[in-house]
Amino acid sequence: MTDAPARVSIAEWRSRRRQLLAAGLREPPYGGPLDRHVDDGDRRLARLLFDNSAASLRLWNFVLTEEDRLHAARAAGCRIVGAMKDLGTVPVMVFSLENVVAFYPDGAWWIPCLMEQSAGLLSVADRLGLNESFCPVRAMPGAFVTGEHFPRPDLLTCSVGATCDDFSAIAQRLEGLGYPILWWEMPHRRRPDPDEKPVALPGGLFAPAGQVAFVSGELGRVRKAIEDLAGRRLDDAALAAGIRRANRVRRLLAGLRELGFTTAVCPLPALEMLLAEMLAIHFCSDRAECIRVLEELLAEVRTRVRCGAGVLPREAVRVFWVNPVADLRVMNLLEDCGGRLCGTDFMFCHALDAIPEDVPPMEALARAAIADPMVGPSADRAERICADVRHFGAEAVVVSRIPGASHCATEGDVIARIVREKLGIPVVEIEVPPISDAIRPGLQTRLEALVETVREQRR
Amino acid sequence: MICAGIDAGSRTIKIVLVDAARLEVLAAGVTDQGVEQDALATRLFHRLLDGNGLRRQDISRIVATGYGRNIVGIADTTITEITCHACGVRHVMPEAATIVDIGGQDSKLIRVSRDGRVRDFAMNDRCAAGTGRFLEVVAHRLGVPLGSLGDLAAASRRPAAISSMCVVFAETEIVGLLASGTAPADIVAGVQMSLAERVVAMAGREVAEPVVFTGGVAMVPGMAAALGRALGRAVTVAPDPQMTGALGAAILAARAEAKQRGDAEIPS
Repeated sequence: MTDAPARVSIAEWRSRRRQLLAAGLREPPYGGPLDRHVDDGDRRLARLLFDNSAASLRLWNFVLTEEDRLHAARAAGCRIVGAMKDLGTVPVMVFSLENVVAFYPDGAWWIPCLMEQSAGLLSVADRLGLNESFCPVRAMPGAFVTGEHFPRPDLLTCSVGATCDDFSAIAQRLEGLGYPILWWEMPHRRRPDPDEKPVALPGGLFAPAGQVAFVSGELGRVRKAIEDLAGRRLDDAALAAGIRRANRVRRLLAGLRELGFTTAVCPLPALEMLLAEMLAIHFCSDRAECIRVLEELLAEVRTRVRCGAGVLPREAVRVFWVNPVADLRVMNLLEDCGGRLCGTDFMFCHALDAIPEDVPPMEALARAAIADPMVGPSADRAERICADVRHFGAEAVVVSRIPGASHCATEGDVIARIVREKLGIPVVEIEVPPISDAIRPGLQTRLEALVETVREQRR
Repeated sequence: MICAGIDAGSRTIKIVLVDAARLEVLAAGVTDQGVEQDALATRLFHRLLDGNGLRRQDISRIVATGYGRNIVGIADTTITEITCHACGVRHVMPEAATIVDIGGQDSKLIRVSRDGRVRDFAMNDRCAAGTGRFLEVVAHRLGVPLGSLGDLAAASRRPAAISSMCVVFAETEIVGLLASGTAPADIVAGVQMSLAERVVAMAGREVAEPVVFTGGVAMVPGMAAALGRALGRAVTVAPDPQMTGALGAAILAARAEAKQRGDAEIPS
């Protein structure tokens, strides 16, 4: 820890970085001033507050240079896999082979959020017939069409079935534009019948053995396609090693979450916690560097906790957050209103759980994939949220929705009802569009009222 | 000790002055909201002071609430309208378990515990169909004053079905209904029911009684009955429902001031 933890603006980061460099900071090749990303078009950054640690600077630079990394990988002859609607399974396979990298094309939904629509991706989507009634992931086909963000993948995979109908429609439109997709099917997870063999999944869930075997078979087709692309076999030993490396990422995140959410001081702001968790999905296209970034971040958090130094007042209200936000400023807003992030379910909790290492690797991946909160009943997701709320000691829950994201629209009510019934703590639902300026007063009222409610209940 | 609560709503600004020791309302006033929100609030505040022989220094603390709370320059602090409405209702109707507040721009459902604290709340400010704005639109379209909507609705024999969940589309629907000869009374009654049903949708399954209705829309005759029918529960309109938020803000100001001075705690 080089200084007192604080949230600083991008302008303040410029002088802060100079201080850190003068004090001996050594940056990775993708390092540099944060405000250069604003110059590149990520306008939204200019209106955020960031954690002031060197570890967080590295995290931001790592995340914001992914496109450069993918283009460099292509130039170096690496094969590129776009793993769509798969939050944390196919990339584990991909990174088990040398000279193949995976990325998450769906992540393009954040481009309009960061660039404040200046990239024009949503306009392209409109012209493709994907209007605002669709999930903001409709930005993805726009990114493929313009070709200005990531290189065209050599292989595109997409899970379909019990995932997201909106996304399936968008991905099918993409395929119709001439981007062939290897579809693999994900069944709706159900609890085993009495006459079925139950299989334990990460996160305390169970599924029938038949469903796990089916998903394992589907992932086997993906594995074969990756092998064909790489021109060599992916043997079980290499895959098991890949799972262990993925679990290293997941354990680092588990450590970060445990310290970040349970300690008396708040060692890391909500925005950086969100960013760090997102690395679980596909390692931001570089697994080894992803581990180094998380190791440094965890070390910073440990130091802050040891010193009792937090970024927020100790009395901040402990809030569990459900679903990612389309406008990153809302994570800042939570803290401006007197809240603190104490637990999250950004819809990829299964990518944070350790993949089983004591079963054959394909079965392990299938178990991890079928634990996806999006493919099971909403009540399962709500139960896990309740368990995590208890574990992290959250005092309130925010269920955030994204306009057009259909899987969120139906789940919010179920989650809110079950949390209220089981835990008796206040729940507030909010809807955050990519540009939330016009509704900021309403969002602020909800979050402030939530904080006031908890403070009153503490008395 | 005198404290003030200012509720800077989307349609009107309300101010209440209370005697903190007796929690008695000394003065209250309302003015229309406008572009110069801060100036309008300040002007109303000084008008109330002048009208009651008070000076600025007689006011120990001012709490602002409502949609425009952050731009009221004379306020010492801000508190959300959810907390203020709960506090205001607690003062006038301590038995309330559920509060429905429908204002010009949003609607809220607040669940309160027996001791008057907010347990939970839901809020709609995305769609005008659940707010007083809907009534304004229909009054304008029918060419009648807002205040006469209640009397008009009372004459309805067969309330029209308004199916749109969006005020803009609902207005189109109203034009269609007028063109097909539907009586204005039936249209107004239909709009009131539609508005009430939006609130019910927001409320979900848990609506404990007694239900208290606050906000400017509660003053519109017929709305409480429509809300009661939609909720399937008796609904009581709070006394002076438009002022509940400002009253709560003034009481919370008094509590904070007493705490700061080390005085005895002001009961809720």
